[in-house]
Amino acid sequence: GGDAVTTTAAAQGARAALRQRYLRGLAAARGRPTRFCLRAGVRVDAVFGAADVDAVAFQVDALQTPLGVQAAALLRCADVLAYSFLLD
Amino acid sequence: MNDWQRKSPVDWETYVNKMVKVAAIEKHEYEGWVLTVDPVSASIVLATFLENEKVSISVVLGHAVQKVEILKEGDDEMKQRLSYIFAPEESKAYSP
Repeated sequence: GGDAVTTTAAAQGARAALRQRYLRGLAAARGRPTRFCLRAGVRVDAVFGAADVDAVAFQVDALQTPLGVQAAALLRCADVLAYSFLLD
Repeated sequence: MNDWQRKSPVDWETYVNKMVKVAAIEKHEYEGWVLTVDPVSASIVLATFLENEKVSISVVLGHAVQKVEILKEGDDEMKQRLSYIFAPEESKAYSP
């Protein structure tokens, strides 16, 4: 009925607005030094590159590991709890 | 999937422009103003204003979110401030 159509339209509008702001956020993160908080209290620093559409992995550059700096790496989203970066 | 990931976009939208405390797995906690929630991953994007006029952005991944508590509503000034954070450059040029 009409209610279902209204509900669907509202949900699609909300979804589009939320996603658009999220994608702008990813664009803002690109190239910025970012700290990733991984499982088991592990924290790593890297330069944010990109995220894939399905939120499976983050591509990062200059990942700092105890074994040295990895020029390019993928962090699995399932291993990441959170990440943060600064905007100026 | 956790309860937070199962919410609808309309539910997530009610958190936007609000100051929240996010309880994540492994006893992590995050506080900040909600900029958005990614409808694909349910990741929540938080902004914190620092003293040096920089903005710190924290993203808590949807799979790690356990509970989101609303601490404060944003007023019109805060909503506008938040809307400028990720705004495209051309719209910033016309901001007062």
